[in-house]
Amino acid sequence: MENIETKLREEAQRLLLEKKADVIIGYEKGTLPLTATPCFITRPEEAEKLIWNNLCTQNLAKFVHDLITAHKNSQKRVKPEDRKKKVIGVVARGCTTRSIIIHLQERQYDRGEVYIIGVPCDGYVESKKLRTAAGGADIIEGDMEGGQIKVKTAEGEKTVALKEVLSDSCRTCRYNNPIISDVMVGSPAPAMNPEAEYDQVKEFEAKSIEERWAYFTKEMAKCIRCNACRQACPSCYCPTCFAEQSMPQWVGIGEDATDTQVFQFMRLYHMVGRCVDCGSCVAVCPMGVDLRNFLKKIDKDCWEMFGNRAGSSMEDMPPLGKFSENDKEDFIYNP
Amino acid sequence: MVARRKFATLKSFLNYIGVEGDRTIFTWVSASEGDRWAQVIKGATEKIKALGPASKMVKTVA
Repeated sequence: MENIETKLREEAQRLLLEKKADVIIGYEKGTLPLTATPCFITRPEEAEKLIWNNLCTQNLAKFVHDLITAHKNSQKRVKPEDRKKKVIGVVARGCTTRSIIIHLQERQYDRGEVYIIGVPCDGYVESKKLRTAAGGADIIEGDMEGGQIKVKTAEGEKTVALKEVLSDSCRTCRYNNPIISDVMVGSPAPAMNPEAEYDQVKEFEAKSIEERWAYFTKEMAKCIRCNACRQACPSCYCPTCFAEQSMPQWVGIGEDATDTQVFQFMRLYHMVGRCVDCGSCVAVCPMGVDLRNFLKKIDKDCWEMFGNRAGSSMEDMPPLGKFSENDKEDFIYNP
Repeated sequence: MVARRKFATLKSFLNYIGVEGDRTIFTWVSASEGDRWAQVIKGATEKIKALGPASKMVKTVA
C-alpha cells in the first residue's frame, strides 16, 4: 500500500504541475482515528496529503459530478468563446470508475473533463462494523498493519482482522480494479468473491411476502430522513430531488412511516441499472438501515432480465433507455 | 417500449419488498381496440377486487 501511496502522490503532483488537471479529488487522513476523508488538491505541494488504504470509503465520483456541475453553472454567463475548461482528476477504484461510466453514459460530462487515476482496491473498512467489533465504544486510537487492525477504546485494546470488518459490498465485489483509467497506479488487486454476490438476495426472496414486508417496514422505521444516502450516492445527482419537489409533492416531508417507506422505495427504485454497489449509502447511514439488501435485488433483476451490470462497460447504454425483443413478457397483463 | 423494462423491474421490486406485485397491472391497449379496452378494465378491476383494499404503503391522514 505504501508503494501505491507514493506513486499516487507523484502522479498527482505531476498532473498539477503539468496542468493536466485543475483539481485532484482523493482521500486524506481523517480527523478521527482510523478514518479517511475526501480531499480536494489544487496545489502540487499539497499532494503529500493524499493517502490510499483500506479506510478510504466514499465513492468520489459524487464529487466529480458536483465540481463539474458547479463549474458549468459558473460559466453560464460567460461568453462561449471565453469559457474555461476544467479538468477534474480523481483517485478512482473499481466502483468509482463504474459511477463515472454511468455519468458518461447519461451525458453528464465529457470523458475529457475527467482524468482518472486508477488504483487497485482490496476493500474498505465499514466503520460501523469496526465499531461493533471493537466493543461498541468510541475508538480513541487505531493502527492498521498487515491485515490486522489494532483498536484502542475507553474499554481497552483489541485486535481485529481486516477481513472481518470489510464492507459487505467489497466482500463480493466483481470490479475491484478500475474499468477505465487514464493512468493506473499499482498492479491489479486479486479478485474478491463475486459468486456469492446474490446469496443474501436469494435467501430473502425465499421468505414469505409477509416476512419480507415486515423486514422492509422494520428497516425503514429506522430511517430518520437525513438524506445522507442520497447525498453520498454518485447516481443521485438531480438538481431537485423528487423528495423536495412541491409541485407536485410526491412524498411528504414529515416523520410519517409511510412517507419514509415511499421516499426510500422511490430512491431505491431510481437505481435500476445505476447502482454500482459501492456501499457509500450504507457507509454514511447513521441509523444502519440495510439498504444493500434492496439495492442488490435491483442489481440482480437488471442482470437477469437485461444482462446489464451498471457501469461495467463504456459501450453499454443505460438499460432502461433501450429495449430488446428478447425481454421477458410474462408480467404483461392479457385478459 | 422503454416502459416495459421499467414495469418489469418495478413489479419485481414491489414484490420483493413485500407489496403484492399483482397490484401492478401493465399492458398495451390501442385507442381503436374498444372491446379489448373493456376486457382489460374488467379484468383489472376483478383482480384488484379479489385482492381487497391495499394496506401497505398507505398513508393515513389523522
